[in-house]
Amino acid sequence: MKRSQQRVVILQLIMALKENNSWCGETHIQKAAYCLQELMKVDTDFDFILYKHGPYSFDLCDELAAMRADELLAIKLNTFPYGPSLRVANLGKEMVERFPKTICQYKDRVDFIARKIGAKGVAQLERLATALYVTSKSEHDTVDERAKRIHDLKPHVSFDNAQIAVEEIDAMKRESANIV
Amino acid sequence: MAALCHDIGHLPFSHAAEEELFPPGWDHERMTMELIQSDEMKEIWENARPPLSSEDIVKLALGPKKAKELQFDDWETMLSEIIVGDSFGVDRMDYLLRDSYHAGVAYGRFDHHRLIDTLRILPPPLYPYGNQLDNSKEPSLGVEKGGIHSAEALLLARYFMFTQVYCHHVRRIYDIHLKDFLIDWLGETKYPTDIDAFLKLTDNEITSDLRDACLDAERPGHIHADRIINRKHFKLLYTRNPTDFKINSDAANLVKEAAVKEYGEDKVRLDGYSKKGGITDFPVLSDDGKTVLSALQESQVLAKIPSVVVNYVFVDPNIRDEALRWFNKGKAQIITPQKEEQK
Repeated sequence: MKRSQQRVVILQLIMALKENNSWCGETHIQKAAYCLQELMKVDTDFDFILYKHGPYSFDLCDELAAMRADELLAIKLNTFPYGPSLRVANLGKEMVERFPKTICQYKDRVDFIARKIGAKGVAQLERLATALYVTSKSEHDTVDERAKRIHDLKPHVSFDNAQIAVEEIDAMKRESANIV
Repeated sequence: MAALCHDIGHLPFSHAAEEELFPPGWDHERMTMELIQSDEMKEIWENARPPLSSEDIVKLALGPKKAKELQFDDWETMLSEIIVGDSFGVDRMDYLLRDSYHAGVAYGRFDHHRLIDTLRILPPPLYPYGNQLDNSKEPSLGVEKGGIHSAEALLLARYFMFTQVYCHHVRRIYDIHLKDFLIDWLGETKYPTDIDAFLKLTDNEITSDLRDACLDAERPGHIHADRIINRKHFKLLYTRNPTDFKINSDAANLVKEAAVKEYGEDKVRLDGYSKKGGITDFPVLSDDGKTVLSALQESQVLAKIPSVVVNYVFVDPNIRDEALRWFNKGKAQIITPQKEEQK
């Protein structure tokens, strides 16, 4: 995927997340982009590691900063005491219009992710994306084995919440099979 | 130890041309890792009291961004953040103060004592989820409310140093000429990654060879050395600007491609930098000692610091006047955006 297409996919994802009531802070975008790449096999080619609130890509973080510098994205400050959001700026909307083919190619997959996780909060996304990360590394392990692994990696995530997240990821995998 | 070792894998002249000079798969962080894990250094770690582990030092010196294959727990993440973090890493604090001092400018100064005194480990700021709060408990590095002005000063210092010093167009083009020289100077080979050979080459050897190459037209890299030593650097043809940017955010690339087509690869250089790192937000502990807020909410200054981004197209000084005439005549056609073709 070319860099311009990669940017269009990010813009498309943020717009879809917004439509699905996402807060669209950087954490929300990071986790959604991870799910899009790992679960929906969209070839955005970001390198994710386990870091802040689960899978995290420094490349994506830099790209979001570059897109802000290029006025494709803008920060929206929110009412006290909540953290900031990102929104697609006018130049970003114009860019999306120039790439109809790319938008069409990834629309179903982007919409699926936005629908599934758009309305989730940071802590839920952290658990869910970490569950996907652990599942991608050990697909054949049982739910409990993967939940234990999540709890070991992120001790502030309880085993019970980790179990729920793993089950949710397994369900999403099954559901997404006919789109990917 | 990790902080001291953080930069030991740098090539002479630091970042210049690292990607082109090292063999594939190598960068200065990998070199840093090799040095920390070398037999000579291991002896030092083992003789320390209590003994130190080279893997711990690698983790903290490089952080999760560069030591991707290592697993970090929350505390290791936090400690590495103190050394290499985007917001408050000591590496950043050090290079701003040091470069500012050596460049003879005041832009990079800030009250690092006050900032360090007010650093705290905090949970992240709040994000709502429906009508409730759904917040992660994962800790990160933030400041007490009393330290927010020192944090603003650090981030402003970074902004000024990047716009006024690191991204100054003359500094940037000299970096490119140095990179061109080093590539010719190395020839077919790449920079050595064997530790002994690596440590033998310093800025001094290269400065000396640069002068020799400038004086002898037969030596590799002569033309680039001549540009550096005799100040015949390439001149600006195009700089990113808001008017063109609104027409096409990729304008600089298109100008470069058109200029290369017109004058040839060896007469044109493209350069670009945009700020790395995400939103500059971090948790702030309010005066009640309990509530954790977003720094961007607390500080009107942080929210308004622009991102640093530059794009330059340089041309050989001998063709610059002609190139400017050519560019001004065809500019509109060069930078007009094209729509992606439908299937």
